[in-house]
Amino acid sequence: MDFCRRHVKSDCEELLSRFRRTQSVRFEIFSGIWRDMKFASIFYGTMFHEKRPFARLVLDIASCYFLPPFSFQIRVGGLYLLHSLYHSQDTVPPEQIRLALKDWEEVKKFERDAVNAQHFDVVFILHQLMSCKAIHFTAMPTLIMFPKKRKVERSVLCEDFVERVARPQELINIDLLEELSNVHELYEKMKSSVTSQAESSSMNLTHKDLTSRLRGAVIDFHNWQQTKNGVDEEEVSGEGTSSQLESSKRAELLASIKSKAFGEAAEMCKSRRHRQVEVDHPVSEEESPHPSGRSRISKPSLRARTAENIHISGEVWKEALSRTTTSSLSTLESTAEEKPKKIKRFKWR
Amino acid sequence: MAASEQSSVPDTDIPDYEYIGVNTKPFRIGSVRDGWLTRLRPKDYSYQQEDKDTFEANFAEAMGISEETMAELRSVCSLDSLRCHAEDELPDTEVVPPDSTLKTLIQRKKRQDHKASLKVNKNRHDLYADELERLIVGRTPKTESDRIPEGEIILTINVYYPAVFEKFNYIRPHMTLLMTGSHNLTELRDAICCISDLQVCGEFSRTPDMAPDFLCKDHFKSAFFFFEGVFYNDMRFPECQDISITTINWAKSHNFPPFTQAKMEDTLLQDLKLKVGFPYLYCHQGDCEHLVIITDVRLVHKYDCLDKKLYPMLTHKHKVLTQKCAVCHLFIARWYTTSDQFAPSDPCLFCDKCFRMLHYDADGNKLGEFSAYPYVDRGALN
Repeated sequence: MDFCRRHVKSDCEELLSRFRRTQSVRFEIFSGIWRDMKFASIFYGTMFHEKRPFARLVLDIASCYFLPPFSFQIRVGGLYLLHSLYHSQDTVPPEQIRLALKDWEEVKKFERDAVNAQHFDVVFILHQLMSCKAIHFTAMPTLIMFPKKRKVERSVLCEDFVERVARPQELINIDLLEELSNVHELYEKMKSSVTSQAESSSMNLTHKDLTSRLRGAVIDFHNWQQTKNGVDEEEVSGEGTSSQLESSKRAELLASIKSKAFGEAAEMCKSRRHRQVEVDHPVSEEESPHPSGRSRISKPSLRARTAENIHISGEVWKEALSRTTTSSLSTLESTAEEKPKKIKRFKWR
Repeated sequence: MAASEQSSVPDTDIPDYEYIGVNTKPFRIGSVRDGWLTRLRPKDYSYQQEDKDTFEANFAEAMGISEETMAELRSVCSLDSLRCHAEDELPDTEVVPPDSTLKTLIQRKKRQDHKASLKVNKNRHDLYADELERLIVGRTPKTESDRIPEGEIILTINVYYPAVFEKFNYIRPHMTLLMTGSHNLTELRDAICCISDLQVCGEFSRTPDMAPDFLCKDHFKSAFFFFEGVFYNDMRFPECQDISITTINWAKSHNFPPFTQAKMEDTLLQDLKLKVGFPYLYCHQGDCEHLVIITDVRLVHKYDCLDKKLYPMLTHKHKVLTQKCAVCHLFIARWYTTSDQFAPSDPCLFCDKCFRMLHYDADGNKLGEFSAYPYVDRGALN
């Protein structure tokens, strides 16, 4: 089922980014977008035996958005998405939503946030999912079977959805500042007791006002964050504030900066330019196989290369090729000649 | 989901990834069960489903909201609001909608069109893919005593075929078993079906009827599982040997970290300490080695098959191509003959019926000169 993972993911992200743009956490808004995109049709037309794996895949993908590091609004969207997908799937009995033990605390925290902010529809839907036994309580979020992939696809976090960082504020809180000022005081005292001439410059390794400076820096950072995305905060006010709603502006800014940065990265940095080797073209122009994008040229398989390189004199080679197979012994001579098999392959792009 | 915040279980017992998406750190299987049961209320994992009205009444009470708000909530969050079509027209859910904007559906449409253009539209994997599911989904037990108790854990175990064929390096043929935490390892062992258990050694051209009496399974009963540095030996029968001791001694003599031993029949699955998603070993018949991966551990759910008797339950099995009889091309080969004057090739494969018709007279006497060995096809357990 892995072939459609990318597409399902981008569909979910499309839905959620539309939901994010509305700056709302209401279920009505979500279901409006759901209907508009006809999202329930994502289950239509799956072949009978693929229904279950597909439902599994869709739910696994959607449940990522219900958990950190995404912002509160996206997590609400993720919850609504899970609820909607769960009730739209057409397998009987339905596939369940998987919830890992380590994520349980996050879910409880999310629930408390929603209750405190009086988002009753969020809590209602969460409780409803629990009540109708839509959840598998598991050890890990997905089934894991020691995957080995030829092409490792990095799963990219959708930048826009991620919660605003609050680590500096979390780290440097009132308690820490108090503690720090105490320690600082103690330190100053000890210093003055040790040295006779107190104002020797060699002893002045720390600022006197260390604590207030640190506090100032954090407040500055916080204010900067606020001004970055505080513009449209008032417009959302009807929704009740669950402090994390306002991530969008900054995220957009970040994204634009990133895209600019990466846009110019194509040129190599100076120190490496001398390494750019002139590529000589052994292949003639029209059969150059990789027009764009891929940096690594895929070699033909070992077998193909061997066949090309090793030349066994005609007779022996032919004999080796047409080995006697038991099954063709009793088939008619005429049909026994093998036709080269042509297999049509489906291109996933 | 009342705010019952207790974590009597230390954090180390919450399984977490060692390598993200690959495998977890080692933990005791039963701790998952304990972890969930301390966190959940009994009604969260019970089989009984709360009816809608009680649920809503409880919810309104817990949140302290009025009847009007509740009614509004009910209408806003109703499942009808998710319907993407008009009430009176039902969409054909078997057809991919042609004009969809969803990328998944655009891809599915393309894939379906491609499949339709092929001559063969169903392969054997597609045909039998849901065969096992049909047998097991939603089976309820006949008597109450056969019911799996609420809060039991279910393990999903993948047992891989030994990688002896070159082809198996690219696909991963395996069988998938569901078991409960209170099964022991010998039950897992007995549920693993492998053709090397069915091999018969010896030449039976004079007495073809005797062959089934010499199955390897009945002669060589030793086997072990290897999980996280412990060998679990099967010691149920007097003729069982400790076949792990060779490895242990070798490791000792080469200054490897020591391995320990335990008995397979004394070990419950829930007492195992291991990494989920990590490949371990099952070895039997001396050198038939299977990888074993526990892919999932979870609480039992009301939609699971609740009949204890049906566990260990096979939910997936890879189908292998079979070698057919050289005469009829119809049945799976059962006999392997050498220096056979009747055979078109040497060696040659026959099904039981063709073999007997060709090599024996009406009274079952051997005709001509040949040696015959029982042949167990690797697809014999399909």
